[in-house]
Amino acid sequence: MSPRFRIALLALAGLVLLPAAARVIAALPPFGSTIALYGERINAVTPEARHVANMVSAINFDLRGLDTLGEEFMLLAAITGTVVLLRGRRGEGTTERAMRLPGRAVIPRSEAVVLGCRIAGPLTCLFGLYVVLHATVTPGGGFQGGVILASGTLLIYLGEGYAGWRDSIRSHWLDALEGGGALLFALCGLAPMLTGAAFMQNILPLGTFRDLFSGGLMLVENLGVALAVTGGFTQLFLEFMEETREAEEPDEPGEESA
Amino acid sequence: MTIILPLLLLFTAISGTAVVLVRDPSRQVFAIAANGLVLTILFDALQAPDVALSELAVGTAAVPLLFLVALMAVRANASREES
Repeated sequence: MSPRFRIALLALAGLVLLPAAARVIAALPPFGSTIALYGERINAVTPEARHVANMVSAINFDLRGLDTLGEEFMLLAAITGTVVLLRGRRGEGTTERAMRLPGRAVIPRSEAVVLGCRIAGPLTCLFGLYVVLHATVTPGGGFQGGVILASGTLLIYLGEGYAGWRDSIRSHWLDALEGGGALLFALCGLAPMLTGAAFMQNILPLGTFRDLFSGGLMLVENLGVALAVTGGFTQLFLEFMEETREAEEPDEPGEESA
Repeated sequence: MTIILPLLLLFTAISGTAVVLVRDPSRQVFAIAANGLVLTILFDALQAPDVALSELAVGTAAVPLLFLVALMAVRANASREES
């Protein structure tokens, strides 16, 4: 594709798409205008119907729970793909030797960093747990809490180094967390069908409004998402970190170009 | 509130442009992280704390880390092939 052809293509696309985009932008509601109708209906109906204070969780786990189930398996597929791709080239073996740019000084970790990480790490994990558990009461939920927990484990790496990190995090546990979380979510959909209810129908007692234990089945689904996201993201970090390790034996020539 | 929102939008535009204009990849990673932080504050100011939490964890911690590791692996591989 020659540069001239590319520019002609761009001009053509602009000619067709720009007026349409301009019309859409002109028809947008003004910034900061009222909440959309759907949002208002949700706000009016959900506290009564589901005893849940966090509408976002109510939509994610109950009203549109099927969408979240799909997203859950998207995450599972994406992480599985990453792991397969990276391990396919590297293999399952692990080494402690870090890859190093030649001629670059290795600066030892300062005590301030270690202290900071030892203080911030547990606090971050505690906050992650809080966000997970209070999914139906305050903003947040399984996904946000799970990512916070996963980044909490990164502070172990920052504070204790690679070996300490690998000591505290087992790859097999992460596999179990991730798959188990997704399975738990899927079972939450299927289990109500055993009682004759619809797929993912909220048949558990709903609890009291604004209480930690409110929302019924949402709490279990939320736990599933939290497990899957914690395991998945930590697995992702682990696989990428493994990429910075020196391979045991040098790669066969030709594999690099593949 | 009236001054905070335009200011945050301005910061978003500046930090977003900075990501494009910074040409060194390893600096670009930190520009992305800064952009994520500004977006987090913007989402929070627009009363979307759920999205703000996700953006904070994914945009300022996870994505920059993965970029840094990828850059490091690419460079180490390139320097090994040279030597």
